[in-house]
Amino acid sequence: MALSSDKRSQLKRIPIPEDRHFKPQLVGYNPKTPNRLAEVLAHSLLYFVFVGLLLLIYGVLPWLFKLPGSPLASGGSFTTTGAVLYGILAAVLSFLVAAVAALILILVLRKYLGLVQNRYGPMHNGPAGAFQTIADAVKMVAKEDFVPGKADALVFTLAPLMVFVSAFLLLTIIPFAPGWVLANLNVGLLFIVAAGTIGAYGVLVGGWSINNKFGLLGGLRAAAQLVSYEIPLSISLLTVAVWVGSLNLMDIVEAQKLWWTAIPLLISAAVYLIASLAEIKMTPFDLPEAESELVAGFNTEYSGMRFGFFFVAEFAELFLLPAIAVVLFFGGYYQPLAGFWDFADVLRGLGAEGSTLNQFGGLLASAYGMLWFLLKTALLSYLVIWVRATLPRFRDDQLMELCWKVLIPLSLIGLAVAVILRLVFK
Amino acid sequence: MSIPAALMTGPTVLEPVVGKTDEMIVNLGPQHPATHGVLQIVLGVDGERVTRAVPHIGFLHRNHEKIEESRSYAQVIPYLDRMDYVSGLQNELPYCLAVEDLAGLEVPERAKYIRTAMFEFNRIISHLVWVGTYMLDLGAITPFLYAFRDREMALDIIERTTGGRMLPNYFTFGGVRRDVHPKFWQDLLDFLDYFEKVVPEYETLTVDAPVFQARSVGVGLLSQELAVNHGISGPNLRASGVAHDLRKDQPYDAYPELDFSVITRDEGDVWARSKVRMDEIYQSIDLIRQCAELAPRSGPYLARGRVKIEAGEQRYRAAEISRGQLGVYIHSDGGTGPYRSKHRSPSFVNLQIIPDLFIGQKFSDVIAILGSIDIVLGEVDR
Repeated sequence: MALSSDKRSQLKRIPIPEDRHFKPQLVGYNPKTPNRLAEVLAHSLLYFVFVGLLLLIYGVLPWLFKLPGSPLASGGSFTTTGAVLYGILAAVLSFLVAAVAALILILVLRKYLGLVQNRYGPMHNGPAGAFQTIADAVKMVAKEDFVPGKADALVFTLAPLMVFVSAFLLLTIIPFAPGWVLANLNVGLLFIVAAGTIGAYGVLVGGWSINNKFGLLGGLRAAAQLVSYEIPLSISLLTVAVWVGSLNLMDIVEAQKLWWTAIPLLISAAVYLIASLAEIKMTPFDLPEAESELVAGFNTEYSGMRFGFFFVAEFAELFLLPAIAVVLFFGGYYQPLAGFWDFADVLRGLGAEGSTLNQFGGLLASAYGMLWFLLKTALLSYLVIWVRATLPRFRDDQLMELCWKVLIPLSLIGLAVAVILRLVFK
Repeated sequence: MSIPAALMTGPTVLEPVVGKTDEMIVNLGPQHPATHGVLQIVLGVDGERVTRAVPHIGFLHRNHEKIEESRSYAQVIPYLDRMDYVSGLQNELPYCLAVEDLAGLEVPERAKYIRTAMFEFNRIISHLVWVGTYMLDLGAITPFLYAFRDREMALDIIERTTGGRMLPNYFTFGGVRRDVHPKFWQDLLDFLDYFEKVVPEYETLTVDAPVFQARSVGVGLLSQELAVNHGISGPNLRASGVAHDLRKDQPYDAYPELDFSVITRDEGDVWARSKVRMDEIYQSIDLIRQCAELAPRSGPYLARGRVKIEAGEQRYRAAEISRGQLGVYIHSDGGTGPYRSKHRSPSFVNLQIIPDLFIGQKFSDVIAILGSIDIVLGEVDR
């Protein structure tokens, strides 16, 4: 596009320095933006926006429902109308929580990846790129809803939904703070395995349905990867169940008030972290979408919001699998060594029993627990991205070799350790 | 003139072989992220294992050799930059050497050192591009950005010296086109002081990294015999244990005065090819330092003279560029430009090896091997 002469004169002239002598920069980062670490940290603070949303579900909504004179509650518990209304609102809001978490996490981790890789990351939409994921989401929704001519349209549509739903199902069972869990299942651990596996089917049938050779290879790799990582992952979950004696995630967290499960079950924790990298499909295990080999693998032909579902699900998993690791191995919502002294107990002890201050203190105690939970989860998510930025990709047979020959024996050893420790100490 | 029917066949269409399992034909390229340009390889794959590989080239053909016949000797040089666009300066040298031989031009001492230093400097740039893109092929994104950060600094020096970044058009018959600026040698040394500290970082991320070693050790074995029979040159040949380096064997410019040894490795696998390139980066740093020490700081940078070449004169000169032996054959008919100009480009010859190396390998390894051969399609197709 040609610029008119007055427009051209308005263009900013970039002065060429008189002496362009080369100045080596020993630190790779551009000295003009020394605040990039600060940018990453500031974006990480956004992550706690969704603390607010969770507070809304678990703290403010029940309080609103139980206001004096409210038709939704009587005598401190919900009426039927109240319970139904709360159930619907909580489900919608918790979906929002997960979506917001994924959106924020995409931004934060892209920014962090930029920091690792000596570049800026998103920076044009909003302050320091804060609105980048919103812009991305708008773009993806606005795109044409396109199905390739030779693709199986039904399966093609269903596959991203399976992945998406599988990721977000996991959210329902995660205890964010004492009592703050959407579905307090007695079979929580089994649910993790079940819900997580649906996603891998989505990738498999998605890659198959698009009628593209690279997609097919990607889908089949996903299947091979699934049967490989799922076994050590499940065994390390089993280890926790053996040690704690419960499949309920709340009970598992409560059992870690003094010592994290990761301390006696170090092997299982390591196996879980490695296997969950494979489940998230993150480097070094990003074989199904290996962009330099299979173009984009299973999502080669996906575009617009269908691709968006895969993308958001991937980042939701990037939050959820570390979250599960925190629940199972790293003390959940408890601060470290909470068995000796817990600040949450101080908050709970505020005011007289049943007073407003006491209720407020209880809410604060839950929020405090959740802050610890989110902090630990964020650190693990950063770890995953750090690994992604560092390592090349494994070959498919190497992945299977690693899972079958190393991780499964290791996880079995971990299981044996758990059994022995339980017999000795409990 | 009509084109013979035999030449008008389209691209090879492989028919899938149906056996115990069905063979799948995959078109790797010409639009594929890991083919480093517009290379097409038609692969037959059985699951993940490659059964057949047929490379197709010509998507980037720009008819350089024919165009050069209608240009004067000096007008040819800008075309040479565009062959191997990753190491533009290096492409100019063999052509200049050949024309200097034919025209009887004596290159001044100072120009020799400038050319040698720039030649080696371009090798660093080229190997940096290789490190970055190759690790990208293997799935690691970060080394790419690190490599391009340093390459950018190096290109700044090239730009300050020659005026161009990737297509400098700097070497000419009898020396270099323009004198270097007063801080040229200091620029180079400053960069090397910085860069020397960074190269171990690349080694940590590549040849020393366990995952990289898992992907590369024992993969894509190129035997000494096969390499020699196919005329492979450059780091690929030296990684197979053949100590062949034109800088040593047919020294040109300032190389006879420099102290260095040919880097070889005996393994012949992808890892060895990577290691040789890494070591060559160190070697280039050393060679540029030697040049900076030995180079005269004053004197002519260009032996001016008329390029008059008698009819029937011909000359082949070759130089060891980053990818191997780049040769130029010039045949004169006494006119102002070459009657025939033929380039022996290393990537083109090195590319021949891929069907031999690909068959029986995993699909992922195909990408690893292709990247380790380090081809530039601009030079393959010319």
